[in-house]
Amino acid sequence: MSYDCAVSVRVPDSLEELVTGLAADPGCELLAGGTDLMVEINFGRRRPASIMSLSRVTELKGWSEDAATGELVLGGALTYTEMLQPDLAGRLPALAQAARTVGSPQIRNAGTLGGNLATASPAGDTLPVLVALDAVVVVESADGRREVPVGDFVTGAKRTALRPHDVVHSVRVPTRRTRQEFLKVGTRNAMVIAVCSAAVVVDLDSCSVRVALGSVGPVPLRAHEAEELAGEVLDWDAGGVLAGDAHRDGALERFAGLVSAASRPIDDHRSTAAYRRHAVGVCARRALERVAA
Amino acid sequence: MTATQAAPGGVLGQRLLRKEDPALLTGEAQFVADLNVPGALHAVIVRSPVAHARILSVDVSPAMSVPGVVAAFTGKDLEGEWAGPLPCAWPVTPDMKSPAHLPLATDKVCYAGDGVAVVLATSEYAARDGGDAVAVEYDPLPAVVDLDDARSDRVVIHDELGTNTSYVWELTPDQAAVDAAFADAAHTVHGHYVQQRLIPSAIEPRGVLVIPQPFNGEYTLYSATQIPHILKVMLALTVGVPETAIRVIAPAVGGGFGSKLNVYAEEALALALARKMRRPIRWIETRSEATQATIQGRGQIQDIELAADAEGRITAVRVKLLADMGAYLQLVTPGVPLLGAFLYSGVYDVPVYSFSCTSVFTNMTPTDAYRGAGRPEATYAIERVIEDLARAVGVDSAEIRRRNFIKAEQFPYSSAAGLVYDSGAYEQALDRALELSGMDGLRAEQARRRESGDRVQLGIGISSYMEMCGLAPSRVLASLNYTAGGWEAATVRLLPTGKVQVVTGTSPHGQGHETSWSMIVADRLGVGPEDVEVLHSDTAIAPYGLDTYGSRSLSVGGVAVAIATDRVIAKAKAIAAHQLEIAEEDLEFRDGAFTAKGTPERSMPLGAVAFEAFTAHNLPDGLEPNLEASSHFDPPNFTFPFGTHVCVVEVDTETGLVSLRSYTAVDDCGVQVNPLIVEGQVHGGITQGVAQALFEEAVYDEDGNPKTTTLMDYLVPAASELPSYVTDSTVTPSPTNLLGVKGIGEAGTIGSAPAVINAICDALAPLGIHDMAMPATPERVWRSISEARGEEAKGS
Ligand SMILES: Cc1cc2nc3c(=O)[nH]c(=O)nc-3n(C[C@H](O)[C@H](O)[C@H](O)COP(=O)(O)OP(=O)(O)OC[C@H]3O[C@@H](n4cnc5c(N)ncnc54)[C@H](O)[C@@H]3O)c2cc1C
Repeated sequence: MSYDCAVSVRVPDSLEELVTGLAADPGCELLAGGTDLMVEINFGRRRPASIMSLSRVTELKGWSEDAATGELVLGGALTYTEMLQPDLAGRLPALAQAARTVGSPQIRNAGTLGGNLATASPAGDTLPVLVALDAVVVVESADGRREVPVGDFVTGAKRTALRPHDVVHSVRVPTRRTRQEFLKVGTRNAMVIAVCSAAVVVDLDSCSVRVALGSVGPVPLRAHEAEELAGEVLDWDAGGVLAGDAHRDGALERFAGLVSAASRPIDDHRSTAAYRRHAVGVCARRALERVAA
Repeated sequence: MTATQAAPGGVLGQRLLRKEDPALLTGEAQFVADLNVPGALHAVIVRSPVAHARILSVDVSPAMSVPGVVAAFTGKDLEGEWAGPLPCAWPVTPDMKSPAHLPLATDKVCYAGDGVAVVLATSEYAARDGGDAVAVEYDPLPAVVDLDDARSDRVVIHDELGTNTSYVWELTPDQAAVDAAFADAAHTVHGHYVQQRLIPSAIEPRGVLVIPQPFNGEYTLYSATQIPHILKVMLALTVGVPETAIRVIAPAVGGGFGSKLNVYAEEALALALARKMRRPIRWIETRSEATQATIQGRGQIQDIELAADAEGRITAVRVKLLADMGAYLQLVTPGVPLLGAFLYSGVYDVPVYSFSCTSVFTNMTPTDAYRGAGRPEATYAIERVIEDLARAVGVDSAEIRRRNFIKAEQFPYSSAAGLVYDSGAYEQALDRALELSGMDGLRAEQARRRESGDRVQLGIGISSYMEMCGLAPSRVLASLNYTAGGWEAATVRLLPTGKVQVVTGTSPHGQGHETSWSMIVADRLGVGPEDVEVLHSDTAIAPYGLDTYGSRSLSVGGVAVAIATDRVIAKAKAIAAHQLEIAEEDLEFRDGAFTAKGTPERSMPLGAVAFEAFTAHNLPDGLEPNLEASSHFDPPNFTFPFGTHVCVVEVDTETGLVSLRSYTAVDDCGVQVNPLIVEGQVHGGITQGVAQALFEEAVYDEDGNPKTTTLMDYLVPAASELPSYVTDSTVTPSPTNLLGVKGIGEAGTIGSAPAVINAICDALAPLGIHDMAMPATPERVWRSISEARGEEAKGS
């Protein structure tokens, strides 16, 4: 083991400089908000020899609307606090809802979307939302740019399609007419890792419902059968709402059951698998009730 | 919250902002970790990752090759440094068993976190890398984490003791009466409760810095401690440095809650290493380290039984306790159950009492005093089981309490357990709390929600508590085998310019003593609180003291300050009388001046008297110069604060999530010096009780591995978990001290946990749920509900 504590830290001024730097030194760690990386370093689990900070790479910051496609383009360095600002929160309420539950104000000021994606924790709160929104990750490197659907981007617990010299440039979210909700169960209201979470998006353009689940599997999971059921029971002519009829409660219960069945949770010290399976069904059902009431 | 500017005189009872806060809020206050001493060596302790093992070998040589590492020692290397083991000051029984406990283990480790080696380096980083490099071979032994398993002696942790049982302590004044009461009872109820282990989590972890004075063999030791005075004595005995050569300073200390009421291995190590290395030694605990290396609270299994007549009047209480000492006995570990032992009859008039406690060693971090120490546990048991009695008798929670309260006219009240409660008005506090919480409206809403089968059910929980605090009458401590007294010292000096200096033996670490003591003195002397300086927490400045814990500072230390102040006034009066050429009995002291009765123009302000005392030009014959007086006050009794808390919860029956809807606390701590500080103590106290009820638990797996070693896993609640508390108070002065004060530091914690759990059980009563283990996590509540509904806790 080497006890050389020296770490080189570079602060590139542009995306160009960042990707060429990375190509030359693929073992280099990127530092965005540092809310995952510094924890790893402080516990001695990672000892990078070199670090590049994203703090001056303006191309990764903020968000915009793609004039050509109408898509929302969320910068890789978009912070949770920015997701909560009314402009963006109005467009992506489920993402704002997820951002609201992340950490504390300090964590939300520092932590970024790109960091959440690159960490790809099963409990990463933006992941189920991005999956339910059908979002696509834009990955940049010295070799060029490629687009990966979020569902393919996260390949396993803390595993992604990122290669060592890749950067999460942005996330593209298709703009459709939707109603969205994200609900999370934790052991505490703030500063808590999700025991389970569910994002539900009612897509009025495609007359379909997308349901994605967090913390109940190695990657965010879609609940396809539950989605189909929801698609059938919503009254699309009336604007995608739940009929207030006698079957409503039964349908919602079946929906919750299908969501639970789609989950693949594990036991850990934060929760048992049994509770996660149950609670994720409750979360998804309540989310559906809220967006389709 | 309003705060007012103090007017001279009549200061008591005002909501003054704390003097301490500007330095704390601006970051100017200096904590141990802020003290930067050139040439200091940073110490890192190498800790056992396993709960129970023989140490086969410890090789520190790899650490020596880490750049910056200056020295590294094993437990064996340092064996010769100790004049005695780490102290336990409370041998509760003559035959109590206590294992030898050295600052670093030599042959065996007995909990995950037990220190086996220490590395010293020129920087904290190098010390940490050095610590990682130390190679230790362990031969693991089976771990004991379950208290019944511990008692069975399946695995004996300390071979030399031959058993895991440390002691058995009994308090049964009349066994025949107990048997008769239970035989004759119309109702008996039984409660079985687990007081989970808690991690104290003060905002500042521990830290120590020792600076040797190379030429005279003296040491200045800075420690994040509640007990600089006790620490000095104990370190002298443990490390073999003369008491006169140790000066202990507790600089700004960020909370303790009992966890800094101890003499820790790291303090002894830092002193011994400063002696050995002749260099300053600094050790700063990390947060995760604190979850293993700092004492933990609670850790008891309780069995409580009540016997009652047909109307539900309690005729006897019988308690059996099994207490978890952890791996070793720290400073007052064995005494914690005793601090609750007398209180299992709570606020009730119970003629017959029986208590016994068996205390066992386990392979977990030692337990010791944590906010309330023994009393929250006792209160929890009685305030939970009385709910079962209410149900058995068929009356509501308020009525069962009213039937059993000690009545206001019964004070001073002699309890069956042998205490004399100073004063109380228990029913008044209950009435006020019920009124403030809007009980009638709540019951109506509860009925509506029950009827409509609402997913979210409402529950209301009451807890009426009392506690004994103000440690303590020295003779009582003697009868409990505690090795020190319970007095407190104070000195009050008037300086030549009329400013006042107060020296106190208490050692504040967040409580606001500087403000409160200033107010006590200002009120008596007729000066402004800003004219009073309070010196504390430095054994060179305040040589006498027994420090801060057990809600003792005001009712013992504050009273000593008042007595010393009055002695100063008495001396000043003699000087004023001499100067005004008037008989002392013709002078009165008011608004900061001595004035002739009937002739107000013949007057001398206190400041002028102080200057005369200082110049000593014209003092009465035989009177010494200067105005200074001391008091060493030994309280005649504990004080017994009390109150009633009402907690309202919403229980989401689908997820099991419990949310606090409102919390009302009516507390009575006698006369209040500063209501703002009282409220602050109540707020924090309630939160720590809520934390036990809903969130916090130090979790160990069956091998004794701690699972809650970060604040992500050990769930200290934050503001977003809590409602705004409604606080109010009644004032029933204590007749046992001249200020009429009682302690308030622990009361909130003592009263709150049972209120929360009672509320949850109330919400779920229609399902037949009458108990809920702590912490009542969503998962636990959901499981109870599923079981009660006869469902598998399935979720699929
Ligand atoms: C107290 C606390 C509470 C937390 N609470 C939550 C919570 O409630 N929910 C939740 O989901 N998470 C939570 N987290 C985790 C963390 O805040 C998030 O995952 C956050 O999004 C990480 O972003 P960051 O910018 O801080 O990443 P960093 O720590 O800077 O980086 C994390 C990893 O991502 C890589 N990386 C960062 N940006 C990029 C990029 N643009 N392209 C490629 N790789 C990149 C880094 O190299 C590093 O490996 C919490 C963390 C803490 C410390």
